[in-house]
Amino acid sequence: MNSGLPLRVITGLLLLPGTGSVLAQEGDSPAAVHAPGPDMSGHIVGEEPYPFDTVDPRLEEKDPITLPERVAPKLGLLTAGDIEFLESGDARGLAGSEEDTIEALEERSPEEVKAWVDAMRQVFDNSRFQEGVDQPNIPLNTESDAYNAWRLQRPRSMDPPREDGPVALGRYDGFGGPPTFGGFPLALSQADLIAGEVDVAILGAPLNMGSGWRDSGEKATTDLRVVGGWAIGGQDQYIQIDASEVLNVVDYGDVAVDNESTERSMQHVREIVREIAETGAVPMIVGGDHSLEYPNVAALADVYGKENISVIHFDSHYDAWWGGSHLISHGYPVYRLIMEGHVRAADYIQVGLRSSGPGKSGFKWMREQGMRYHTMAEVERRGWGAVLDRVVAEASEEGRKLHISFDIDVIDPAFTPATGTPVPGGLDMREAISIVRRLCAEANVVGFDLVELHPALDPTYKTTLNSAHIIKACLTGIAMNREGLTTPHYLSPLSSEHAIDNYYGDQQYYLDATAAEDEREEAAGEVTDEQAEDLEEDSVEQGVEDGAENRD
Amino acid sequence: MTFSRAANRIRLIFCSILLCGPLALVSPVQADWNVPEPFAEKFEVLGPKQQVFLTSGAVLDFLPQRQLEHEFNTRNPEQIAVLVDELLALADAMGYDPEKDMGAIPLNLNATYFNRGALPTPEALREMKRTPGPFGVHRYLYPMSGVPTFAGAPVAIWPEDLVAGNVDVAIVGVPSNMSSGRRDAGNGPDAMRSLNTIALRDGQSLLEPLDVLSVVDYGNFSVDGLSTERTATRVARMVADTTATGAVVMIVGGDTSMLYPGVAGVAEVKGAESFGLLHFSAHPDVVRNDDHQISDRRAVFSLLDDDKIAGQDTILVGLRGDDLDKESLQWLRDQQVRYHTMAGIQSRGLDKVLQRVEKEVSRGPGAFFVSVDVSVLDPAEMPAAGRLVTQGMRLAEVAQMIRFVCAEKDIVGFEITDLAPMLDTSRVSTANANALLNACLNGMAVRASGLEPDYIHPLTFDHGQR
Repeated sequence: MNSGLPLRVITGLLLLPGTGSVLAQEGDSPAAVHAPGPDMSGHIVGEEPYPFDTVDPRLEEKDPITLPERVAPKLGLLTAGDIEFLESGDARGLAGSEEDTIEALEERSPEEVKAWVDAMRQVFDNSRFQEGVDQPNIPLNTESDAYNAWRLQRPRSMDPPREDGPVALGRYDGFGGPPTFGGFPLALSQADLIAGEVDVAILGAPLNMGSGWRDSGEKATTDLRVVGGWAIGGQDQYIQIDASEVLNVVDYGDVAVDNESTERSMQHVREIVREIAETGAVPMIVGGDHSLEYPNVAALADVYGKENISVIHFDSHYDAWWGGSHLISHGYPVYRLIMEGHVRAADYIQVGLRSSGPGKSGFKWMREQGMRYHTMAEVERRGWGAVLDRVVAEASEEGRKLHISFDIDVIDPAFTPATGTPVPGGLDMREAISIVRRLCAEANVVGFDLVELHPALDPTYKTTLNSAHIIKACLTGIAMNREGLTTPHYLSPLSSEHAIDNYYGDQQYYLDATAAEDEREEAAGEVTDEQAEDLEEDSVEQGVEDGAENRD
Repeated sequence: MTFSRAANRIRLIFCSILLCGPLALVSPVQADWNVPEPFAEKFEVLGPKQQVFLTSGAVLDFLPQRQLEHEFNTRNPEQIAVLVDELLALADAMGYDPEKDMGAIPLNLNATYFNRGALPTPEALREMKRTPGPFGVHRYLYPMSGVPTFAGAPVAIWPEDLVAGNVDVAIVGVPSNMSSGRRDAGNGPDAMRSLNTIALRDGQSLLEPLDVLSVVDYGNFSVDGLSTERTATRVARMVADTTATGAVVMIVGGDTSMLYPGVAGVAEVKGAESFGLLHFSAHPDVVRNDDHQISDRRAVFSLLDDDKIAGQDTILVGLRGDDLDKESLQWLRDQQVRYHTMAGIQSRGLDKVLQRVEKEVSRGPGAFFVSVDVSVLDPAEMPAAGRLVTQGMRLAEVAQMIRFVCAEKDIVGFEITDLAPMLDTSRVSTANANALLNACLNGMAVRASGLEPDYIHPLTFDHGQR
């Protein structure tokens, strides 16, 4: 940004994802179905404590011990409270097992024992929130007269009037303008989505608060437009379908975030995602760190109802951690969604886990909750093909509305080195593309996110390109779903087999299947005059596209 | 450049707009808009609040005058009214609303680990018993490699180690990672340790800093990766405790929001406004109305506003780029801050500005805190600056000024911030960041040796041959 840019242009940059309303309110109640839950209003304005039970049920309380008589001489300086603490489960995390504790007592003088116990009690107390000592929240500068500047939206009246609907930014049949996701037209408001009968809205969410390397801000959403542009849209050879011809897809701009507070960003992301989902379009959020799974899924629950959404979480990490001082981070979204009642744990499917955690208590918790987990250990045992079929079958169960949350670190760092917390031993791109395409085709996908892209870590653009192809795989899948190509693991009988000989013994099947598809298309091709005109226009568009491709 | 840079600019701009509070008041810095005669008829249709919004000039912060007049030219009165109403609504929605806005970020008060990770282990729970004092981490007397420490120096963990070792300089990492530019400053401390180019022999004085000064690697101070505010509280405490031992704390950031707790921690021990601040940065960091209480964008503002440092003892060098606006510069001038922009350096020549800065340092308090946001350097020598701005200063120029102040004055603290190492795979940025830290160590060594601030060893000054 050079300093000579006029304010209006700069304002436009800040306010890119505009809608008709001036300011989406943090406290707005969602439009649709809600199961009754705790009152969130005080929490949302930051004045009241968080209204859910925030004690982590997976914390295993350690058993207390009874100290033997022989150490009594060492305890002379301890108070009754000291001894109670020393024998309690609370002390076990610091003093160790009964054996360790006795050994520690035996090697210390009574004075040293007193100092030791005092220190442990001090650490125990200071580790936890203490009223009057610790700040219960993080106050913001509410005196600021630009307090909401970060999420004020550009009023439509600032620009010349136009019809509602997606806007093509280029001069050449929509091409040749600033880069958008997949070269798709731009929509900035719910009215644009409705008027354009939009099927899929791709939203950038430049949240940059992950705990690993940080570069998941606007560089990620911008690079996905620039590098990933052509990759996201267009023909899929495996299926012989072009999602951009089947679906109305738009670039929905970026959502504003506060990159100094994940919590503060959450409500606004949720509002914008809700705005998309309310129209029936599939929100595709590209980020951004994995905290985004929380507002994305919560927004879907706002629209489709609590406990009506299933989530499949692709990640090398299980992201159901809890117990730190913050209420959201990129390690917490799964737990918070479940705790707040947006999704049942039994409606969660985890795929690709392989990071160092969780430990046994985390896995036992998932098993008890009915959460279906598929680790790379399962892949090692059963093979990828078996796990793939199992996952797709689980995700496609009758009645599920599915959100896919795809952290690119589920993929092996050989393919996606540019991610905040990479873990080796992941999926390869063939596996990743096929599972995402199958899910988006065979399951009822109502939301999708792709997160944790950090472009600066990869000067080759490989990671961005591979991320774009994951998005494309889902767009292809959704297009297949709309076209009825939902049989398990559908692949084009034409592109997947030359059928010139009978090498595999099934030559005739492919010839017949190709002919049958041709027949179906022909039948669908007996068209009215009006449709014929459309077709003619399509061929003109194709010509323009071919021209554009040739220019590339 | 980056989107967040644009956002920062917006913060500055709005800050100028809305200082006026109620829109009926004229902003102190915003010119009025005198309605041109041809627009009088359309203007008259507007209500009184709308009219004031226009004539006060408040509207000009949303639309430049050129555009406003174009809109008046091309819109009918109703369309103008819609536009003005929507802009007014924006202005109304700009500030904090306690009914709707999150005024504080809630935390998990039941967290098992609410503070754990920030708590130094009490003495009675430390397993290893050892006599206090810095200790080496290398097997060899002249190590070539091994566990990386700042300056290859011994490690100190507790304040008593600093006291026992009579430590002069404690270099400590603060890996905060909340830059409002590109982020990787969290890896700054380890990158600067790893390069192993700190406290090398000084080619000007031919002194070896470690021969003259007792230097240690004091580890890192704990940060909260999700909150600058919580980090700042911890860091200020740790800086104060370290300073109280008598050691000079040298902070390796971390992003520039840590300038606030760095200086505030020293001020707690040495006394507020008892020392000067020489701060090198492209950014003035005086955003007056940031929505966060502590950030890199307002680090200098907070220090002045909280009276940690006095305006007349504050010297800023290297300012440039789109963070410079009239209101910020005027505010700095009103605080009596000595600022030196690149525009001034380019117009007067570096030598004159250098002399002036040196005079300002010399006339200033006896003690100084020196701070460097690496953005002060030109991206040619510092591509890995988190908030880089083109057309900056050269390494040799900045190093010379740092060396001078560190040789001329008692240094009460030093800080280098916002090195984002992953942005420069050549590691030259890290080498140059170490060179800036070395400039101060070299200056301190010169001072400790009783030499003049501009001392050059005669052997290095001239070969001496006829």
